[in-house]
Amino acid sequence: MAQLNKTEIGAFLAKQGILIAFAAFMIGFALANQRFIELDNVFGVIRSSAILGVMALGVTFVVIGGNLDLSVGSMMSFSTIVVLDLHDKLGPGLAILAMFALTLALGAFIGFLVGYLKLNSLIVTLGMLSAIHGLTLTWSGGKNMDIADKSGTWFSVFGQERVMGIPVPILIFALLAVALSLLLSKTPFGRKVYAVGGNGQAATFSGIPRARVVFLTYIVSAFCVATAGLLQASRSLGSQNTVGQGMELEVLAAVILGGASLMGGAGTVFKTVIGVLILGFIQNGLLLVGLDFYVQYIVTWIIIILAVWLDVAAKRGRLWSPIA
Amino acid sequence: MNLTRKMALACTTAVLGTAAAAETMTIGITQNNVGVDSYQTTYEKAFIAAAEADPDVEVVVLDAGGDVARQIAQVEDLIQQEVDAIIIWPTNGEAVIPAVRKAHQADIPVVVTNSNIAEAGFDFIASFSGPDNITQGSRAAEIMCDKFKDMGIEDEAGIVQISGQPGYTTAIERAKGFEDRLPEVCPNVTLMETQPGDWNREKAQQVMEAFLVKYDDIDGVYAGDDNMGVGALNAVKAAGRDGIIFVGATNFAVGYEAMAAGDYWGSIYQSPVDDAEAALQTAIDILNGEDVPFLNYFDTPKITQDNMGEFTKPVF
Repeated sequence: MAQLNKTEIGAFLAKQGILIAFAAFMIGFALANQRFIELDNVFGVIRSSAILGVMALGVTFVVIGGNLDLSVGSMMSFSTIVVLDLHDKLGPGLAILAMFALTLALGAFIGFLVGYLKLNSLIVTLGMLSAIHGLTLTWSGGKNMDIADKSGTWFSVFGQERVMGIPVPILIFALLAVALSLLLSKTPFGRKVYAVGGNGQAATFSGIPRARVVFLTYIVSAFCVATAGLLQASRSLGSQNTVGQGMELEVLAAVILGGASLMGGAGTVFKTVIGVLILGFIQNGLLLVGLDFYVQYIVTWIIIILAVWLDVAAKRGRLWSPIA
Repeated sequence: MNLTRKMALACTTAVLGTAAAAETMTIGITQNNVGVDSYQTTYEKAFIAAAEADPDVEVVVLDAGGDVARQIAQVEDLIQQEVDAIIIWPTNGEAVIPAVRKAHQADIPVVVTNSNIAEAGFDFIASFSGPDNITQGSRAAEIMCDKFKDMGIEDEAGIVQISGQPGYTTAIERAKGFEDRLPEVCPNVTLMETQPGDWNREKAQQVMEAFLVKYDDIDGVYAGDDNMGVGALNAVKAAGRDGIIFVGATNFAVGYEAMAAGDYWGSIYQSPVDDAEAALQTAIDILNGEDVPFLNYFDTPKITQDNMGEFTKPVF
């Protein structure tokens, strides 16, 4: 009996290593500054992380499908600038529709290149990172984009309002996470994504349309990016052209931290959410502790390495491995 | 007047206009990254307009697109074209020094604009034309202090600072100017904490959210530019806190609007138009053999809700 319990605990640890790491950091920060776990702060952090988080949900699909998406940062800048610009020209409703259409078109283009033309996703999306940045600058003429009448629009509802006391960005993040989690784990499409990323050739031989599945992962990613752009634009009702710059690496860090394999075929939406929350709470926790900001960069890195180590150690049941 | 305009990404064939007048001076400029923000976009337009207004000046306008290697190649192109003077907005204060030295050896005077190069290169440049960021920081401290005195809280106020990107000269100088001046004018105001907002509105908003959780009582916020200041203001509004005095730098349109709305107290007015015109004028003065100070700062005055009527709304 005792033996069984130990095995059960072991199996749980192996499966949820990253969750334990997350809990450990939360307790640590809460001890350092009790305001860390006040509801306002927790909501604040999740609300700020929602933008990164929504993007990470989409990239999880791409990564599990065995590819990368480094263009999400500049694509998010594009969505934000476009929806802000069109807001004053078309009105909020049409602007949102047009922005989603344009962002999905960009995703479709990348999906076509990577899926159907079988080009290397690293090269394609790295190139798109600059190309889309150029597109954004061309659209805006390099100027910051602001909504003229900030108090007279319902557009702010996505980024600033609360429903039943919960900030709307958190609700959108949560709803999308649940929906995409179901899509990935409970539908034939989701299983095909794992199959294509796990072993592309085997997937092809079993009749899975590999190109179409890869194409669709980029569509999911672009949809998430458009949602993130909407949240970003609605939150500040104005933006710089570089608002998403560098976020592609944070997104990727969150996805990998959540345990998705860069080789494809492994990962879950739920663990990506944990990865996002770890990154968000580290940043906030270090601020509340009041660490000098030059040191924060180093400590952030140390915490991420610790989290990954805990995760790996839990999986193999020991802290280090004498044989590689 | 002739204007030669060459796009950054176009091939680098020299396309000099018809140099008819004997007195015409040709000035080449290589900019940092036009289009990356509104300041630089406006700067370029103002520079071209100022050159067009002067019949004796012909300009070659280049943009490095933020790329050091491209900027070095552009300086070499300008040397090849035998322009009379070169204006450079460094993409990197260290890496452009060899190129600047080459121009110096070719007897072409170099004017650095907006952000200075590293001191190791000072021997090779004729002048630096740009804003004095230390003065901007200390003026911001004075604006903050004066406002606290008006409110009668100069003996108990506590403030936070949101600085620019760590490691950037402009960020460091503004913070230094502010931190040095504040205790001189308002010795009892406490600067509780400084964190970087990386010149990014969203990041500044996150930093301010954390400050609001951490400190129950914040009387003032100093931000390294208005973009970050407005981000902090958004956080304060969302949290429903009020009575916080915001002072920024580089007055942006959003900052100006927030001032007009009464939400934002003051800033430093730094016009890209003044910046561009000062750079061109510095180069012209040098070519005319006039005495130009080595650090040729253009004025960046204080702007607050009280005097904002004297300034036009920034276009960026």
